[in-house]
Amino acid sequence: MNTAMLIAREEWRVLARNRAGLIASALLVLLILVSSFTSLERRSAIEADRERYQASVDTDFDAQPNRHPHRMVHYGQFVFRPIAPLAFFDAGVDSFTGNTIFLEGHRQNSANFAEARQSSLLLRFGQLTPAFVLQTLAPLLLIFLAFASVAREKERATLRLMLAQGVSGRSVIAGKLLGHGAIALAVGLPAFAVLVAFAANGAADGASALLMILGYGAWLLLWAALGVVVSALAARPRDALAILVGLWMVTVILLPRALPEAASAQSQLATKIETEIALHRDLLKIGDSHDPDDPYFNDFRDRVLARYGVATVEELPVQYAGLVSIEGERLTTQIYADAADRQIGSENEQNAFVHAFSALSPMIAIRQLSMALAGSDPAAHYDFLNQAESFRYDFVQQLNRMQAELLPSIEGDDPRISAANWQKVPRFSYEPANPLGRPADIIWPFAVLLGWIAALAGLAAFAARRIGRSAR
Amino acid sequence: MSASMSILTAELRLLLRSGRNLLALILLLLLSSAAVWAGIAEIQNQRATIERVAAEQARDLAAVEKANAGPEGEAGYNAYYAFMLTQDPPPPLSFAAIGQRDLQPYVLRVRVLGLQAQLYDSETYNPELALPGVFDWAFVLIYLMPLVIIALGHDLVTGERETGRLRLLLSLPGGGLWRRRVGLRYAAVLIALGLPLVVGGLVMAAPATGITIMLLTAALYAAFWFGLNMLIGGRLRTSSTAAAVMIGCWIVLTLILPTLANAAIARGVPVAKGIDLTLAQREIVHSGWDIPKEQTFERFLAGHPEWRGKEEFEGRFHWKWYYAMHQVGDEAVAEHVAAYRASLAKREDMTRSLGFVLPGVGTMNVLHRLADTDIAGQLAYQDSIAAFHQRLRQFYYPYLFNDRPFTRADFSQIPRYAPRDHAGTLEAGALLALAIIALLALAVGMVQLNRVSGRSRNA
Repeated sequence: MNTAMLIAREEWRVLARNRAGLIASALLVLLILVSSFTSLERRSAIEADRERYQASVDTDFDAQPNRHPHRMVHYGQFVFRPIAPLAFFDAGVDSFTGNTIFLEGHRQNSANFAEARQSSLLLRFGQLTPAFVLQTLAPLLLIFLAFASVAREKERATLRLMLAQGVSGRSVIAGKLLGHGAIALAVGLPAFAVLVAFAANGAADGASALLMILGYGAWLLLWAALGVVVSALAARPRDALAILVGLWMVTVILLPRALPEAASAQSQLATKIETEIALHRDLLKIGDSHDPDDPYFNDFRDRVLARYGVATVEELPVQYAGLVSIEGERLTTQIYADAADRQIGSENEQNAFVHAFSALSPMIAIRQLSMALAGSDPAAHYDFLNQAESFRYDFVQQLNRMQAELLPSIEGDDPRISAANWQKVPRFSYEPANPLGRPADIIWPFAVLLGWIAALAGLAAFAARRIGRSAR
Repeated sequence: MSASMSILTAELRLLLRSGRNLLALILLLLLSSAAVWAGIAEIQNQRATIERVAAEQARDLAAVEKANAGPEGEAGYNAYYAFMLTQDPPPPLSFAAIGQRDLQPYVLRVRVLGLQAQLYDSETYNPELALPGVFDWAFVLIYLMPLVIIALGHDLVTGERETGRLRLLLSLPGGGLWRRRVGLRYAAVLIALGLPLVVGGLVMAAPATGITIMLLTAALYAAFWFGLNMLIGGRLRTSSTAAAVMIGCWIVLTLILPTLANAAIARGVPVAKGIDLTLAQREIVHSGWDIPKEQTFERFLAGHPEWRGKEEFEGRFHWKWYYAMHQVGDEAVAEHVAAYRASLAKREDMTRSLGFVLPGVGTMNVLHRLADTDIAGQLAYQDSIAAFHQRLRQFYYPYLFNDRPFTRADFSQIPRYAPRDHAGTLEAGALLALAIIALLALAVGMVQLNRVSGRSRNA
């Protein structure tokens, strides 16, 4: 191991003399810091915006005048999704999902005003976050630092000299791996420091930050190891460079874009119009509360009359229309929930198709891991949609109950209840999703990254043996 | 003539004998073909979706007709339940540059209620699939072609020097060595990249001028990269540093600078205004229920004096008041709408200016404006929806204000949306800027190579 350490130290000395390498590393570190700060600033601006909007729409709700409760059901509530603390590190799909939903009775509105729909095409080049720098650019730097590591010694015949002096092939490879592994971690260090600082002042959950560091550590080590292994297997440095850049191009740039294309060709999502029409049809199947001969609602009326022990609707102590609203909302909500589940199911199916290729392109694994830990993956978005939907149901039903219970005591042909009631209606408060609550989304990407590292270790052992043999 | 032909054939053989060059060119041909194929598949998919939705919507409309349009039918009910379909079929060139068509809705149905509450509904798309960006011909051109050019061109000079042939080559009679070699590589790259586009254009019956301009744009963008290659390859001593520096240029020009610029634009022009307009519209429409109906009509009649005197009605509710309230809601947020659109336009403008300096961004702007798949295309679609919505209002108002019954015969008179004409335009300024950058790079690169030749001959 001591020889390996010597070799690693020699590698650092060589790299320290390489001006281009130093400049590139310094630029990368600078980029990580710049992206951290701009991204943090962007996050707090977005967060402040959404908080301000949420507060103002909540005040507006309270300030509504005396009204029929059903009018408030359609006045509805706007909810804004708070941005997750670690989303500054990896914006994930945040720019592609809408972050505000209008909630009203018997309708399910979509989350609107996604940033991506309001940005020029520049956004599709990528977003400047530490995750972008670490996922896309850092591997290239590590390739440039490592492609010559062993091949250079081969080309200059220094390898033969080392072997002749009794250095084993294993020590050579181990030393190079050690040298470049340490560089890889050093490249990640500024980003890790930002994460640690962020977790230390309590802004983010420590476990997520730690797992994020471990994940990116594995990702960077993977590229350093890949660089050394390819360099050891290639005949000349330039061959190693060509192979490595090709691998980077395919796994980091090409596959992540081509696979979604294949996934959407495989299974399509229904358009919003089709979903709405299908839902409308399902709703009609339940029955029509305005139709005096409707079997479902006639049965419902009989049950209500029996429950209150009266013979006619007029004798009820509550407003019958309000009860129908409550029942209707219960039924439609179930239908909407099923439709939403189907939609999420088909999106998950498409994503699973892409994820299945992460063994081929570990970029997909690190991206998935990083988004999940940052709370900016689709699962976190669906969680927001679910919370918003169950909140919607509760507040609409509360207003419907007000209609049933309070309206009968009010006279006049335009009955309105007091505005004071609006303040009793709950406000949305988002319970942030716990990324660790979905362990499968974290374990699998980790397994893929570690699998790659294990495979590379196997290849390194093979390369070491081959080098050892070449000395004989 | 035949002598120069044979030199060219010899050079071609030389170019293709190198495994790396051949592989790079074949890869480019395959990627370009795959991208064109994927683009065509996406377009056909969008067309099929539009057809499917149109059929489904027709059935839905027929059900509304059956339910609402009797001899005593009421226009107000009908207008409330009859959604009308609008669609934006894929423009002919969009197979090459899909742009934002994967994110923006291309089918949307509207009814006579407030337009602004209906216009911004998002279409369902899978955010995780959209995240990395689309794989289309424009992507292959902007991102991947430069890498192939780097593979083919970074060692033009250094490769010859490293094998010790440089002196010999330059001492041979007859000039134009570099021009011949670069020209050949340039042509090979353009053929590998452009051939699938031309075939795709024929398959999709795309206009020839559009395809030609796309090829011209690609030729200029490729010229820029070849020029940069000659400049850097001619200045540096070894092939590997030349390759490293070129890859560095590629990272900076296609990854780092656009990303930085996007961050700066997003910061400089925030577009929360979309939410502002939605919130404002909601307040106005809902307060319409609480204020005296005369107030709403007063505001409505100010813009529509032709209905003055017909606004009176008995009872608490009348559809004409309901729709007037919705129209007043739209009119009241006109300023917000303008502000929202201005902020989108500002972002586009900034991106356009950036394209004057960054060839990759410039190429992107030219292609997507030509294909009509950018934000401007989306706004044009929204405008056409707004115009159609206006026609719907004008159709229904006489029934509502004159208390005319809405019969089955009237139902067939409801205006139908006719898709807008696709307005892909040529960004002449952007193309010119790209041409200037490309020719400049080419000229500087040529000068550098001639300097190499001169130095080597004199030495």
